[in-house]
Amino acid sequence: MATNRTGSQRANGAPQTKVCQFKLVLLGESAVGKSSLVLRFVKGQFHEYQESTIGAAFLTQTLCLDDTTVKFEIWDTAGQERYHSLAPMYYRGAQAAIVVYDITNQDTFGRAKNWVKELQRQASPSIVIALAGNKSDLAAKRMVEFDEAQAYADENGLLFMETSAKTAMNVNDIFLAIANKLPRNETGGAAGAGGARRLADGEQPRSSACCNRAPPRAASDTRSGAGDASGRGVRGLRSSLRKAGFTRALVVSQAV
Amino acid sequence: MDEEYDAIVLGTGLKECIISGMLSVSGKKVLHIDRNKYYGGESASITPLEELFAKFNAPAPDETYGRGRDWNVDLIPKFLMANGLLVKLLIHTGVTRYLEFKSIEGSYVYKGGKISKVPVDQKEALASDLMGMFEKRRFRNFLIYVQDFQEEDAKTWKDFDPSTANMQSLYEKFGLDRNTQDFTGHALALYLDDNYLQQPAIQTIQRIKLYSDSLARYGKSPYLYPMYGLGELPQGFARLSAIYGGTYMLDKPIDEIVIGEGGKVIGVRSGTEVAKCKQVYCDPSYVPDKVRKKGQVIRCICLLDHPINNTKEALSTQIIIPQKQVGRNSDIYVSVVSYTHQVAAKGWFIAMVSTTVETKDPETEIKPGLDLLGSIRQKFVSVTDYYEPIDDGSQSQIFISESYDATTHFETTCLDVLKIYKRGTGEEFDFSKVKVELGEEDQ
Repeated sequence: MATNRTGSQRANGAPQTKVCQFKLVLLGESAVGKSSLVLRFVKGQFHEYQESTIGAAFLTQTLCLDDTTVKFEIWDTAGQERYHSLAPMYYRGAQAAIVVYDITNQDTFGRAKNWVKELQRQASPSIVIALAGNKSDLAAKRMVEFDEAQAYADENGLLFMETSAKTAMNVNDIFLAIANKLPRNETGGAAGAGGARRLADGEQPRSSACCNRAPPRAASDTRSGAGDASGRGVRGLRSSLRKAGFTRALVVSQAV
Repeated sequence: MDEEYDAIVLGTGLKECIISGMLSVSGKKVLHIDRNKYYGGESASITPLEELFAKFNAPAPDETYGRGRDWNVDLIPKFLMANGLLVKLLIHTGVTRYLEFKSIEGSYVYKGGKISKVPVDQKEALASDLMGMFEKRRFRNFLIYVQDFQEEDAKTWKDFDPSTANMQSLYEKFGLDRNTQDFTGHALALYLDDNYLQQPAIQTIQRIKLYSDSLARYGKSPYLYPMYGLGELPQGFARLSAIYGGTYMLDKPIDEIVIGEGGKVIGVRSGTEVAKCKQVYCDPSYVPDKVRKKGQVIRCICLLDHPINNTKEALSTQIIIPQKQVGRNSDIYVSVVSYTHQVAAKGWFIAMVSTTVETKDPETEIKPGLDLLGSIRQKFVSVTDYYEPIDDGSQSQIFISESYDATTHFETTCLDVLKIYKRGTGEEFDFSKVKVELGEEDQ
């Protein structure tokens, strides 16, 4: 589960950039361009004949907003939406979702509405949902009117944009709009359960001082409200970015 | 569904999901089906709580249990050894990124009606109330021997050949008494019964090393437990399989496993649809005529509104009751998890007492475990048969997993998975296949 690791840490009194990490899930019918949107956003690439999602269904991208670094952990469906076999794990702890449809296909808009309902039912009540009408470069073949989708989005409190993974239109913008809507305050967002960790190679053994000194993190997991803030250990951290977060956690505990 | 696959996997229990992931990662075209609407089969975590009560035909839970959705109750209790095979699999496949874990806070062993912390290093050995003065020293020497032991360096064997000499003789070499043997074999080496005493000592040495290496990894105990319950594990591996092209169908009844010439499987039928395949991998429930009963396990789920006595208010713990302590042939296990793992509403604990059934009255068998729990708000007992396949699947190309046994951790689960993978593909699973490709995702 993505944790909103907020921490405006003051190491030696100097203010540092806040780092917030959010889990963002993609939803939508097969072939509406979910993976293409992410590839455009994360790597600036577009492939006309993008294969059905294989291999890369977990990407990260970082945005800088004012004094905050927002890191998205982006989950693609990996095709598990096809036979309605998305696992509950997929929604678990997601703080943002992009529901995608294809503006040239009315059915995909109907399915998008169902996904929104599903999110309202299954996901955290505070989840930020954006609706993306993709393939806006194919406006000549348009089957879903902009106004219709906008009206639906307004009714349901969704962010809405028409996007094109092909031309890059509104791709960065929609992620930015989401980042702006997510809570970035010290305790905001759904924090992970205190003391839970990811496992990783070469993790510090317990003799390392940091393991038992992480600061208690707010545990306001909206899904269950049953977190504790005992702060036992910190998450095992994989990438170098996460390692940076790890170090910061250590700094805080020393400052406290 | 009407397509041709390299392999069809039936059931989304943990073993099947790991196998499915391995096959997809190895480039096989996989169709993975479950007759249930949810992932996990027997290794699912039941949610909401109302569902668990309904499953055991109990009247619905009252409001003191909090929100039903806050509960995720495992049907089969197990912990991960922090340095064990499942953790290796999780890390190598990248599935670890979908999950978060907490360490189990305490590991205890039962002796003479009360519980004591399992001593694992020299300091703890000397402080332990499990042994007398002189026995502590002998046990400490034994621990040092195990710690220094290197399989590839005969000098560290100290004139004892552990590949031929049995464990009983190693205990005797260090002069350890029956009591110490008992908790060493059962609470450190995690053997279910005493057959290991006659086996080569090397196996036990390796198991004790696994225990202490696991402990060294994260602290307090060698065990880990995933947030939201064990049911997250199969979901994580299913996602891995899907990412590598596996197709998933839930809520799909299987009416027939279609056999062709020479008794070899050619497909799977659901209603009028037939999916063709070269191989089937499944759990015993999909092939009742190809498995035999191996034994029975009793598992008792207990909902508590307090921690267990004498565990320092631990929010999670494991207690092992070695067989001899209670005049049995197999150990009784007590595992406790709680709201801190997001598996119960605030303030609640889930204790599971389990063992291999030895008598006609299994509920009485687990009484020593239940007696440790204090007041129990709700109890659900299940006695299940466990099965093993009648053949290795080489002729039929149907590869069947064993049911989940009474062990408290996933080591036997993983060994079974690796064995099945080898039987099915003729090769060992190549971990390097995943790591390279997943590397680029991680920025």
